[in-house]
Amino acid sequence: MQFGIDGNVALQQVLATMEIERKKIASTQTKGYIFILLGIAVAVLGIMLGFPILLPIIVGLIPLIYGGILHLKISDNLATYKNAYKRDVIGAALKFLDESLALQPNAGIEASEFVYTQLFTQDPDRYNTEDLVTGSAGKTRFYFAEVHAEYKTVTQTKNGTRTEWHDIFKGIIFAADFNKNFNGITIVRPKGFANALGAWFSKNVFSFGGSDVVKLENPDFDKAFVTYGSDQVEARYILTPAMMERILKLNHETKYDITLSFIESRMYIAFPLDRNYFEAPVFKSLINAEALNDDIRAVKFMYDIVQELDLNTRIWGRD
Amino acid sequence: MIIALIIIGVMFLFGIFFYNSLIGKKNQVTNAFSAIDVMLKKRFDLIPNLVEVVKQYTTYEQGTLTKIVELRAKATSGNITPAEKAQLDSELSSSMKGLMVNIENYPDLKANSNFINLQTTWTESEEQIAAARRTYNATVTDYNNAIMMFPGSLFAGMLNFQPTPVLETAAEERKNISAKELFNN
Repeated sequence: MQFGIDGNVALQQVLATMEIERKKIASTQTKGYIFILLGIAVAVLGIMLGFPILLPIIVGLIPLIYGGILHLKISDNLATYKNAYKRDVIGAALKFLDESLALQPNAGIEASEFVYTQLFTQDPDRYNTEDLVTGSAGKTRFYFAEVHAEYKTVTQTKNGTRTEWHDIFKGIIFAADFNKNFNGITIVRPKGFANALGAWFSKNVFSFGGSDVVKLENPDFDKAFVTYGSDQVEARYILTPAMMERILKLNHETKYDITLSFIESRMYIAFPLDRNYFEAPVFKSLINAEALNDDIRAVKFMYDIVQELDLNTRIWGRD
Repeated sequence: MIIALIIIGVMFLFGIFFYNSLIGKKNQVTNAFSAIDVMLKKRFDLIPNLVEVVKQYTTYEQGTLTKIVELRAKATSGNITPAEKAQLDSELSSSMKGLMVNIENYPDLKANSNFINLQTTWTESEEQIAAARRTYNATVTDYNNAIMMFPGSLFAGMLNFQPTPVLETAAEERKNISAKELFNN
């Protein structure tokens, strides 16, 4: 195990206590699933063997309902267990990394802030956020949270309208105080097809919004990202040659391409992710803490961004 | 007949479009150049204050200080070409760097809040000038590409658009993090 969690007696004790609770929940849930499956099996088998249709359904319904009740009964325990995991385990583990780190499971990055960051052009119709982590690394304060933003499309079909939900973004949004002052907006988006086409139009035909494409001299950076800025000089003041290299390096370390925005002396980074972080495992043991290690690794990654982007160098008029 | 007219019309419209876009690019170059000027002025304006503060604490830096004041006077005198200005700025920068190194010998000055403030502003302006120069070079490249590539090269030749050289940076200035090394050691 890493990050010194292993050697911490207090945390290991908490994990051991929670492991008992976890086993109880896991076994009740398993039992519940078995009864539900049994009920379905009985009903299907009964019908296939030619019993009058009502009889196997009624007989099958009894274990099915019992299974459902088992799940219902344990759901309170499950919620308590999940909350306790976030508070006692993740909360304590974060303190190992840095005393300043704290997790607020029910807080997040508000939808209004998400729109304000301009990381994505589409406004969300449905928005969820949780697990806000706040802290500071050296002189740089930062916070990040899980965000799931979606938009909907409504199409007309024969049977009326059909609503579909599409992801705008699912992952972690990271925000940190930037080490330079600036007034305008600079946005760095991965160079997908749509962005490349939009950039070409805004450069060659006409520009819209207040932001123009900023053509940067680092060819690797220009290949990976499209940069928009309300002020050409300011965009380059933020994206120095060294900063571009650091952003490229950060982008290489992640599975999906990142998006960045710089607004009012703060920087935002969007990391698209597949999994949900800081959730207590139910069917996996807490003792070897695989999930916990993944979570801590994610936090460590966010924490290290400050170092990696050199945000603690405070010589440009911002303390 | 009608087809010929249409072709001429389209070519005319195309010509207007191209001419305007070239003018737009040329103006961007001018604009980017004046941005450097603004940043340079900001930096030159810092010098009198900086010199005043340094003078109070140091005894052996008079020679450097006088040189810096002279360079500034020349740079802000108004009747110099942009190239001369850039040259003066780079001389000024290296004098300042020398001064900053010597300041290590004056702990009182280093601790002076006024000086620390000026020092930060100086570094800030250095980075801003670097950004302005890069912006200028980007617009120049954009403009040069437009007039040197086909079909722009046809129009540019007829309308006498000349390519503009990009700003070369002195080797010592090329590392724009040098200021940080300087102040942190």
